[in-house]
Amino acid sequence: MSTTKASRIGEEIWKTRIDKVNAELVTLTYGTIVAQLCQDYDSDYKQVNQQLDKMGYNIGLRLIEDFLAKSGVGRCANFRDTADMIAKVGFKIFLNVAPTVTNWASDNNQFSLIFDENPLADFVELPDDGRAQDELWFSNILCGVLRGALEMVQMQIEAHFVSDVLRGDDTTEMRVSLVRYIEDEMPPEEE
Amino acid sequence: MLHTQAVFSLIIINKAGGLIYQREFQAGLRKLSTNDYLVLAGTFHGVHAITRSITPKIPLAPTTNSPAASPGTSTPAASSYSYPNPGASVSGLDYLESDKFRLTCFQTLTGTKFLLFTDPMTGNVETIINKIYDLYADYVMKNPFYQLEMPVRCEAFDRHLGAWLRGRT
Amino acid sequence: MAAPPRHSSMMATNAGAPQSGANDRQQVTQQSLTPQPTQGLRVPSNRKTIYDRHLNRSRNAESSRASFAYLFGEMVTYAQRRVTGIQDLEKRLNEQGYPLGLRLLDLLFYRSTSTSSSALSSSSTSSSPPNRPLRIITLLHLIHGPLWRLLFQRSADALEHSVSPDTPNEYMITDNDPLVNTYISVPREMSMLNCAAFVAGIIEGVCDGCGFEAKVSAHNQPTEMWPSRTVFLVRFGDSVMEREKVLERNGVK
Repeated sequence: MSTTKASRIGEEIWKTRIDKVNAELVTLTYGTIVAQLCQDYDSDYKQVNQQLDKMGYNIGLRLIEDFLAKSGVGRCANFRDTADMIAKVGFKIFLNVAPTVTNWASDNNQFSLIFDENPLADFVELPDDGRAQDELWFSNILCGVLRGALEMVQMQIEAHFVSDVLRGDDTTEMRVSLVRYIEDEMPPEEE
Repeated sequence: MLHTQAVFSLIIINKAGGLIYQREFQAGLRKLSTNDYLVLAGTFHGVHAITRSITPKIPLAPTTNSPAASPGTSTPAASSYSYPNPGASVSGLDYLESDKFRLTCFQTLTGTKFLLFTDPMTGNVETIINKIYDLYADYVMKNPFYQLEMPVRCEAFDRHLGAWLRGRT
Repeated sequence: MAAPPRHSSMMATNAGAPQSGANDRQQVTQQSLTPQPTQGLRVPSNRKTIYDRHLNRSRNAESSRASFAYLFGEMVTYAQRRVTGIQDLEKRLNEQGYPLGLRLLDLLFYRSTSTSSSALSSSSTSSSPPNRPLRIITLLHLIHGPLWRLLFQRSADALEHSVSPDTPNEYMITDNDPLVNTYISVPREMSMLNCAAFVAGIIEGVCDGCGFEAKVSAHNQPTEMWPSRTVFLVRFGDSVMEREKVLERNGVK
């Protein structure tokens, strides 16, 4: 499946099958969650990152069913298709953005998602405490979401942010690596 | 009309073969005991897995090494055979039919199974199951009080499912 | 966190209010008011910061209801792990909504001054710029209309004043089908719980931010047609009621 086709599918589902809310409600709710964690963990940002990833993982385990039910897509033929599906269908129908897939590793097992828009981080400025910009990955929940969702369709992946405009970087980039296809439910072409 | 559209009951089976939901939609159906439902779920789960694994493969011209192959899984002999449509997953048992009812199984890519008992004449069973999956994704999976893989006790799911099936006839 | 410093100072004006979460809130305030070395934040060279973007750019932006549901669900799950009972859980959800209310208030006022024909300006005395509400009724209309529309894209369904002479300080805002509860089924053993306590917290934040000390709680009032109908009970403090009498006498609207 081509990137363009995935984009078209994503657009179509977004237009016809998705219940919408004001994007600011999502942004502000997420901001509240992060702020609460920073308070609960006493601004230990490493722990906040971990907790966000964990929350995302829990979301991913559930969100995958909605993704499959809404999109009706079948299993991806390879990891490149999976990447397009995540970026152009998944992100589109849940957050109304479509990050760019790029920087493929030569073994086709690793790619980057570049976010031109990140609705989770609208309105956000990190605390000016000399640490947050070095330690906090504000949108870390997204890494957990991918990990949880893909695990449910038998892919073990690793995901982490490598840059974030909130930290003063020029881009917001997430790195996603395929660790393995989970054994007992191998996709047919891998058996 | 009503008769030919009949949806008798729904069963949902989790990844491990456990019964997590069972509901009848028609009054007067012969009921099974809870234990029989559990047995039915477990048995179907097992038979489904077997039918999946006996799905025949067809010979295939040797391919260049596929991307993202996990180590140690493909032997040269195995890789020269493939399922007829490599893009689609192998489904296993799709339906059982008697002259009085039809049991349709839909397994999601995550491994959850929806078993729908309908009249053999009921059309558009796929549409019905897709809608049920949709409602499940909404009112079960988005409910923070629902614990994954556990029995489904979600009032909003029951309500919306019932309303949708009633409105359909 | 997501709040520029001016929000923190707003919290400070409310920290003395005698309410359940006052301690937590005061801590936040103190934390963010602690003098920090002003080394400043790094910004991207392409200047993609909040200061370079129009505050209204996301005004009509849409996201999925699903994303909200998952985030809210995680908020509930997380809160559940740290509480002892239903009341405690509702209190915590209320506290999560509270700062949101404070922030939304500023956004509401900002938006209502920048658009002439907004519903908010019609409910205040002068057309523009609208003043902060002085009277209870004006404040409640702000919540029932503009606040609800900003959050849920429709007005609330009813606004009532308590008919009991013993509780003139109580008002009820009704939502027949709260968006936050769309996908939630509360287990039978927790049937008193209403997760819209989060929204109650938002309302409380708006009230406090406007200088109307209040406690707000969410209650299940299901009907056959609206199984998740929720009533938000707003109870204003004595000081507010006294001021209300003075304003009434002086003819302030």
